[in-house]
Amino acid sequence: MEYQELIGSRRSIRYFEPDKPVEQDKIQKILEACLISSCAVNAHWLKAVVVKRADVSPEDLEMMKNPVQALVIALAPVHIYFYCDLGVVNEVKGSRLKQLVDAGALNPTHGWSHKFVDELVYPQILKPLTESPAYPIASAFDCGVAANQGLLMAFELGLGACLTAFNAEVVARYTKPPASWIPLYVLNVGYRAESPEAGGQRPRPPFEGQYFLGQYGKPFPRDPKVVEELKRSKMLQAPAPLPNRKQEIRELARRLNLPE
Amino acid sequence: MGVLSRPIAEYQSVTTWGEGLRNQWGGDPLAEEPEKLHALEAFCEFVGEDPDAIVGRCFRIRKADGERVLSTKWRTHYAEKIKAFRVQPSTDGPRRAAAVLGFLIHNGVLIQA
Repeated sequence: MEYQELIGSRRSIRYFEPDKPVEQDKIQKILEACLISSCAVNAHWLKAVVVKRADVSPEDLEMMKNPVQALVIALAPVHIYFYCDLGVVNEVKGSRLKQLVDAGALNPTHGWSHKFVDELVYPQILKPLTESPAYPIASAFDCGVAANQGLLMAFELGLGACLTAFNAEVVARYTKPPASWIPLYVLNVGYRAESPEAGGQRPRPPFEGQYFLGQYGKPFPRDPKVVEELKRSKMLQAPAPLPNRKQEIRELARRLNLPE
Repeated sequence: MGVLSRPIAEYQSVTTWGEGLRNQWGGDPLAEEPEKLHALEAFCEFVGEDPDAIVGRCFRIRKADGERVLSTKWRTHYAEKIKAFRVQPSTDGPRRAAAVLGFLIHNGVLIQA
């Protein structure tokens, strides 16, 4: 699928074929997509633990549910639990930046050298950053960038996916995260039970209220010609609800024995 | 009539359910699919309570601020009852349980069972 169509076709899928397993190679490809994402200081805060729903006891699955994600985790055959490893910066101490220097990504043209990393970047910038209250926020932002890349890969592979919160305490019985990992979200993955359109592209707030040019309050001008171009490339698709959506949901409810 | 003192469709919570279904799906699902009401009726017999009582128990008044909030205790109670109801000898246990869950959802009670 072309990139613009891919990001336009992504939906938060909440109906999965519960008994159709996801191939291991597809799960790996999702993780590989996370790994190559853009990442500040090459730290790679994002960690993931893949858990197959079939390996979770029914009692624990019940305890993992909350009011808004219960059915999603019950239907999705694969749960990819994302964590943010806050300990990684002080573990690697700039070594991953030096890898970028060696790889020719960070160069003297921009002021980079091993000595710069060892004597300035790590001790004077990164280490103090890890002691700042803003550190978890910055790290979590980076994790989101990586997780989104995996999310899009799931759709590229013909799967459906949906990010939800998770009950960290119960899930930890399975994932056994180190103390430095903070729980983020779970990527629920499986084959869609709903149509690829999933009822249409979901409502979004007005573009002009979200993005600005130069300063807050001056909306970034939305050129209608660009919008038309994006419709042609299928990044912008028919908005929800599509005319058949209620019928689709009703049929899913009946097939999966869900309340209507 | 068992635990019900009047026809099930006359209970306020059942009226609310019917309105919710009509708004969501169009038509008149309770009239078109009487098995939904039959399922709720069977559940009422199963737990020994009428529909309004079931919904009423799922809420409580929070002492701190007088707010009407969902009762975790009673939601858990009915979640267990619905699970048991689902596996009762019947060819359509899952559908009947789903109908009861729908009745509760349209009355503002989200129960995952």
